[in-house]
Amino acid sequence: MSERRKHLEFLRKTAKEAIWAGDYERALTLYDDGLSLARSWKDRDLEDLFTCNRATTLIEMDRQDFDLSRLKEILLRNPSGYNGALAGYVAANAHEARGEFGRARFYAQTALTKSRELGLEELTGTSLNLLASLELHEGRFEAARDLFQEAVERLESEGESLSRHAAVATDNLGYCHIALDRMELGLPLVHRSLSVLDSLGARQAMDYPTLDLCFASVKTSRLDEAESWGIRALGLGKEFGREDVVKNAHYLLAEAYSEMGRDSEADEQYEALAVYYPDFPALKNYLHQISLMEVINLRA
Amino acid sequence: MSSQSPRKGSLVGSRIRELRKGRRLTQTELSDRIGIAQSDLSRMEQGEYKVGLDTLFKVLQVFELKMGEFFGETEDPQAAETRELVKEYQGLSSKAQREVRDFLRFKKLQEQSQPEPDSPAAPHEEETS
Repeated sequence: MSERRKHLEFLRKTAKEAIWAGDYERALTLYDDGLSLARSWKDRDLEDLFTCNRATTLIEMDRQDFDLSRLKEILLRNPSGYNGALAGYVAANAHEARGEFGRARFYAQTALTKSRELGLEELTGTSLNLLASLELHEGRFEAARDLFQEAVERLESEGESLSRHAAVATDNLGYCHIALDRMELGLPLVHRSLSVLDSLGARQAMDYPTLDLCFASVKTSRLDEAESWGIRALGLGKEFGREDVVKNAHYLLAEAYSEMGRDSEADEQYEALAVYYPDFPALKNYLHQISLMEVINLRA
Repeated sequence: MSSQSPRKGSLVGSRIRELRKGRRLTQTELSDRIGIAQSDLSRMEQGEYKVGLDTLFKVLQVFELKMGEFFGETEDPQAAETRELVKEYQGLSSKAQREVRDFLRFKKLQEQSQPEPDSPAAPHEEETS
């Protein structure tokens, strides 16, 4: 590997660490620097790679100010290369973030096919995880569970059992089991995922596992635990600007407090949730009487 | 709270179907308005589809319902009558509204000077009976 490539590889590695730790601004700066260098060296491969990585960072930041058509161009220019498969995967994520789920599925499937052909195990696993997440978004829990299972197996077969990607897929698989009322299968998976993410310093990925544990605790009436996990999930959701996590955490905390008879605390949570739905001013009063636990999908 | 009144969580799908049919909407029309696929709405109506909070509240928005109405809770008839009266009052001219207020004042004074014969019995009457 040339010195230039080594330098850019170091930038990528550092940026990836920053993303997992939730320091997106730092990651973006590093990818911007790498992209400028790759352009100045007229290295097309590295430019494509950094374009994909930069777009991934912006998606994580809930930003859409990148050129999606550029990713598709990379995909078309590299039909049998790593960058092509990666561009397909990032394009799928971009469409998912825009709520264009049909297109997201198409590009995720493309990324999966290409990464399988090329024997790219990590990208195969993450593409499977994305396809499963799209199934989950539409409430197809059994189909999602099978895809997550395959994703976990792929990532673990590569000795990646302690990787962050494997931990994320493991949590998703655990959530599917919990939603399908298989607590004995789901809970150990989510606990294992949280422990791995914690040990790897991947704070920004710990919000869903904590939310899932809160959900499971409410479902099984372990209300003290639900409170503890819910407060943690709420804190992480606020810290990383994840509105869906914040809303679901408010709802689950309110459910827990409501079941515990701690009405004023339940009120506070319902009021915090109602802020997101200004068209439903009576939300709090009705949610006091109605449980949505059997119909709610935390990933939809 | 939950020990006093059981909280409901099921039958969301069948209630959506009921409301959709009541408003003469096809599954395609409603799914377009909520922003989900028709096949998913069909699964939601069959109780196979779990939804996020946003989708659930979007459904309520389409039907222009409050949560209680969505879950089939009937409004207290007296509250409904009062709501109708307020609506009618608000539709009157300001002159007519003034006349209504004067009439209400008159009725209030009339009731204060003439207690109704079937008003609740005073405690001492209970003791002597």
